[in-house]
Amino acid sequence: MEKIVVKAIGLTKSYKMSKTNVISALRGVDIEVREGDFTAIVGPSGCGKSTLMHILGLLDRPDGGTLEIDGEDFTKLKDDKAHKVRAKKIGFIFQGFNLIPTLTALENVVLATKYGGVKHALRKAKAVKMLEMVGLKDRMNHKPNELSGGQQQRVAIARALINDPTIILADEPTGELDTKTSMEVMDMLKKFNKENNQTFLIVTHNHEVAESCKKIIKLRDGKNDN
Amino acid sequence: MEILRNMWRRKFRTTLTIIGIVIGIFAFTVMGSMALKLNKMIAGGKNYITGQISISPRGTDFMSGTSSLLPVDTLAEIAKVEGVQAVEGSVSLTLDAPDPDSVSMSFGQPATINSLDPTSGFENRNWKKMAMKSGKMIDKDSAVNDITIGITVSLDKSWKLGDSVDIRSQKFNVVGILEKTMTGPDSYVFMNLSKARELYVESNPFLKSLKEQSESAGKISDSELAKLSPEARAQIVQAKSFKMEDVSTSASVSWKDGVDADKLSETLKNDFKKEISVMSPKAMGELIDKASATMNAVIYGAALLALVVGLFSIVNTMVMSISERTKEIGIKKALGASNRSISFEYTLEAGFIGVVGGLIGAALGGMTAYLLNQKMASQGAEIFLLEPSFFIGVIVFSFVIGIVAGLVPAARAAKMKVVDAVREL
Repeated sequence: MEKIVVKAIGLTKSYKMSKTNVISALRGVDIEVREGDFTAIVGPSGCGKSTLMHILGLLDRPDGGTLEIDGEDFTKLKDDKAHKVRAKKIGFIFQGFNLIPTLTALENVVLATKYGGVKHALRKAKAVKMLEMVGLKDRMNHKPNELSGGQQQRVAIARALINDPTIILADEPTGELDTKTSMEVMDMLKKFNKENNQTFLIVTHNHEVAESCKKIIKLRDGKNDN
Repeated sequence: MEILRNMWRRKFRTTLTIIGIVIGIFAFTVMGSMALKLNKMIAGGKNYITGQISISPRGTDFMSGTSSLLPVDTLAEIAKVEGVQAVEGSVSLTLDAPDPDSVSMSFGQPATINSLDPTSGFENRNWKKMAMKSGKMIDKDSAVNDITIGITVSLDKSWKLGDSVDIRSQKFNVVGILEKTMTGPDSYVFMNLSKARELYVESNPFLKSLKEQSESAGKISDSELAKLSPEARAQIVQAKSFKMEDVSTSASVSWKDGVDADKLSETLKNDFKKEISVMSPKAMGELIDKASATMNAVIYGAALLALVVGLFSIVNTMVMSISERTKEIGIKKALGASNRSISFEYTLEAGFIGVVGGLIGAALGGMTAYLLNQKMASQGAEIFLLEPSFFIGVIVFSFVIGIVAGLVPAARAAKMKVVDAVREL
C-alpha cells in the first residue's frame, strides 16, 4: 500500500461576510490521498472545492479538523512558516495558468526553483530540462503573451513539478482550454503520474477529466458526498 | 538583477516615477550646491572675523553704508590698552565708482578695495598668510601703488600679474593674484592704506571738501593767521586739523598670546564707549551663525520640500504598482515566497528607483550648477560649490528616500493574505 501523502479529517471553514451572515464553506470534510494517486475532486458550484484546495495547499487555515502532509501535522501552521512547505512539498496548477507576464517561460520556471531552495548555479539548467520534458524547450525565451493557452499551461505544469513536490494541486487545469488541448494537458499529467509516480489532486467540473482520473472525491454543501 | 529586469519591463510606470524623484533631487542638488558655496563663504568669513576684534566708529550704519571715522589718536589710545598687540586702521570702498545713472543687480560680492597697513604689526589670528596663485601679497617693501587682487577680480577685469591698471582714475600695479578661496577675498583688491585713504576721500564729497579746505588752510602762514579775526582764525585752525591719518572707517585689533579676546573686547567697549563700537570675536561668530542658520533653513527647506514631493511620487507609484501586482504577489506566495522576501523585493525596487532618479537628478543638477557658475564667473560671482562628496551623499540619500518610500507599500504587499491574493488569480 502506498504511503499517505495528504490526510485531512473533519475540515471545517467558515467565512464571515457580515455581522449576521456567516457562510460555512466546509462542514467536516475527510480526505486521504496516497502517493501516486491521480484523484479528481468534483461537486457543484459552491460545494467547497476551492476552499478545500486552498486549505490542502496551505494557502488558508481551517477553522477545525486536522491536516497532515507527508505525516506532519500542519493544521495550525502559520503563514510565515507555511511558505517553506508550499515551496518544497506542494505544486500548484491554476485554471488561468497564472504565469508572471513580465517573465519568460524559462524565468517563470526558474522562479519556482528560487523559492524551492535550489542552488543559484543549478536553477537555469533544471528549468531548461523541465521545459524540455513538457516539450517547450524551443519556446522557453518567450513571454506568456507569446504562447498559446496550452503552451502556457505546460509552462505552469513545469513550474509546479520542478521542485518534485509531494503533491500537485490542480484547480480546473483545463478550464480555459479547448477539448483537444485539454486532452493533451491531461495526458501530460497522467504521464508524469505514471512515469514518476507523482501525486495529483485535480479539481474539475469536466466529467471527461474526472472520469479519466483513478479516483473521484465528491463534495456537496461542504461535506463529502461519496 | 531580477529587480532591474522588473523595472525595465515596466518602463512607462518606472519612468513616470523616476521623473518625480529626478525633479526632487535636481532641486536638492542645485540648492544644496548653492548652500554649500554660501556656507563656505560664511565659514571663511567667520574664520577671518573671529581672528580679530573688529572696531567701528560710533555712528556707523551698515544698512545705509554711512560711516563716521576713527581718529588716529583714538587708535593710538586703543593700542596702549593692556593685552592689545596691534591696531590697524582700515578703509574699504567699492572698486568701481558707483554710476548714478545705472541700475543693476548682481549675485555675489561686489569687487571691493580693502586697505592693508603692513607697518601696523597687526595679524589676524586665523588668517595669517593667503595662498598666492602668482606674485605676492603687498607688504612693507611694496610701492604705495602696488595691489594684490582676488581671483574673481582678475577674471572679471582681465587683469594679469604685472599689469598697470586704472582704479578710480589712478594707476596701480598688479603684483599678486590670490588663489581661489571661495570666500570674500576672491573679490578683494588689497591696497596700501594711504592710497586707499586717498581714493576714499576722493569718493566722499564731504571729506574731499575738508581735505581741500585743509590744504588751503595749510598755505596760510602763522603771521597771516594772527591778523585774522578770532572767528576766522578758529575756522582756519579747525580746517588745518583734518589729517588723512584720521580717515579710517574701521579698525582691527589683535591680542597678545594668552589674552582672552572676549574680555579684552569688553575692556575696549567700556573704556572707549563714547568713541567706538566693538564686536568681540565671539559676538561676531554668533551673529554669523545666526544668519547662516536662517539662510540654510530657507535653502534646504525649499529643497526638502521638492524632495518630499519626489518621495510621495515613489510611494504613490509603489502603492499602485503593488495593488496592480496583487496577482503576481499571490503567485509568488503560492510558489513559496516568504513575506520577508516579498517585502525585501519591493523595498529594494523602490530603493533602485530612488537611486536611478537620484543619479539623473544629481547629474542634471550638477550640470546646471556648473553651467551657471561658468556664466557667473565672467561676472565675477560663482554661486555654486560642486563637491564630489556632496553628490555621492545625494545619491545615497536618494537610495534611502526610495527605501523609505517603499517600506509601507512593501509591508502591505508582504502582509497580503495568501488566500486573498490567490483569489485574485
